[in-house]
Amino acid sequence: MNEKDFENHKIEHLLKRAHLPEPSPLLKEQITAEARKVWNQTSLEIPWQIPIRRLAASAAAAVLIISIANFSSDHTLERWRPGDVRITKEQPTDLEILPEMPYRPFVRHMLSVNRKPSMTDASALRNYTKRVWQVLNEMQQNEVSNQPVPDGGRSRLFPAQPVSDSYS
Amino acid sequence: MWDRYAKDLLTFLQAALCSRHNAEDVLQTVFVRIVRKRHRLAGARCLDAYVYRIARNEAYRLVSRRKRDRKVQGTTESWLIVSESNREPSDLAEQLQAALAQLPQTQREVIIMKIYGQKTFLEISSLLGISQNTVASRYRYGIEKLQNLLGNLSL
Repeated sequence: MNEKDFENHKIEHLLKRAHLPEPSPLLKEQITAEARKVWNQTSLEIPWQIPIRRLAASAAAAVLIISIANFSSDHTLERWRPGDVRITKEQPTDLEILPEMPYRPFVRHMLSVNRKPSMTDASALRNYTKRVWQVLNEMQQNEVSNQPVPDGGRSRLFPAQPVSDSYS
Repeated sequence: MWDRYAKDLLTFLQAALCSRHNAEDVLQTVFVRIVRKRHRLAGARCLDAYVYRIARNEAYRLVSRRKRDRKVQGTTESWLIVSESNREPSDLAEQLQAALAQLPQTQREVIIMKIYGQKTFLEISSLLGISQNTVASRYRYGIEKLQNLLGNLSL
């Protein structure tokens, strides 16, 4: 036996010189009376009730977890939602000060159409479509008329070659 | 039930709580809980381990409640008895109590069950649901700490 074991035995011996008090008869009487009272109050649980209770508790826990997850998801994604979308109409004066832009007559027409009350019948819709077509045709004609005509009716891809008398 | 478990459980609870008064309260709670859950006793694999598990849970619950309420542990309460003529009994009891109270709860439980409950490592391991090696190592570490704490005490 080494010195360490000897020291351990000394500590054990020292601890064994003390002892713990046993439960007193008064404590026994008190606890058994309390236990008897609880025995009479509580009926013996029927075993088949236990799985049903567990099932109900599991279902309640699942509902709670899903609710918390939904709430958490809504709370997290709230900042990514767009705010209130407000539709504003551009005033005609604003249109007048706009810089030069392509398709300006068409834009003006669309804005003027948007200011009008909405169309409900088919004839109004047909007229509207006709007007749009008309505006588009005008725009196309304007573009064609504004294009520079190539010199001499030649193709713009090949510039005209200077005529030189190389054979002379 | 009382004759079979009361003495051992009270020893175990005093080790866990370092208080005779709290141990008696928890012992009552344990017996009431056993009566309330009596239908489970038949299904328990090891009745002794089941009862000790209840006692342990109740003891931990009291300790955590005490920590939550920030109540200081009553160190002045004596739960060890020394009856010797050649030494001042209360002096030795107080030193042993103070040294045991400084041990971690798991080590203290094993030491008191071994020395005062007179249980073997195998019995303690089956009661606490831990391996025998763990019980032995907890006992060894606990005794070494006690040796450091009580080294100056004349044997």
